[in-house]
Amino acid sequence: MVEIIIDEDACVGCASCVEDCPNDVYEMDEANNKTKVVNEVDCMACLSCHEICPAQAMEHRDIHVAKRLYIDRKVNYALKRII
Amino acid sequence: MDMSEITDTLGTFKPELIPKETGGNLDDYEDALHVLMKFMGSMSSALEQVSGRGANAIVYQAGKRMGHESAKMMDKTEDLEKALYELSEVLGEEFYFIKWKPDAQDSYVLQKDNEVTVKLLFMDCVVRQTLRRTGLPQKGPLCYLLYGYMVGAVEEVMDLKAKVDIDHVGPNACLKTLTIKWSAK
Repeated sequence: MVEIIIDEDACVGCASCVEDCPNDVYEMDEANNKTKVVNEVDCMACLSCHEICPAQAMEHRDIHVAKRLYIDRKVNYALKRII
Repeated sequence: MDMSEITDTLGTFKPELIPKETGGNLDDYEDALHVLMKFMGSMSSALEQVSGRGANAIVYQAGKRMGHESAKMMDKTEDLEKALYELSEVLGEEFYFIKWKPDAQDSYVLQKDNEVTVKLLFMDCVVRQTLRRTGLPQKGPLCYLLYGYMVGAVEEVMDLKAKVDIDHVGPNACLKTLTIKWSAK
């Protein structure tokens, strides 16, 4: 099953993920004005939330990561040497 | 790439029906794939510019024809499960998909009147990768190539009318609904 982890320190409470998610996986926590995961079981790992999150505050675990053959392997190689 | 980096390979060429080697390494395949991705993206964007929304119909028709052609040799069946298996065989691992349903829904397949629907989650998709390579948005004309391809393949395998609707697109997976009309041929 998909596991979603929200970095509460990074989350800016913009609610973009809440609006963007088609399966209502997220909700705003009114108490601290941060997003919270309420429906993890319906997450299909489309990762629209990752793309829209301005703070990169989320992490998905145990998902199928789609192939990214469009990225140059030379770029990946260079990045691996830097990071 | 600097032209001086390209090394000329000398060899013997004989006329043959089946080439024994392709004459390329992984880098060549990667370059070829990326060039084709750029071509496809460029074509899609120009088509949209010239034909507007008509571009979707043109690309859909092209995909549908491909789907019918690709599925001609597949086993014919009216069983949706078997048809989906055949569809996965036609699409191959570059279009890896699974059935998907919300947790609260009992069955993957929903029957309503003379229609049956199933949601398909496309995880790997060359079209999506092409769009990302070329910086084009998803749900554009190029996506209709895959819709047409799916519809063509399912129609060929099941000998029934089918349609595909897009529910959601994302950078890692796209959700589509496949609808089969039992009464229509």
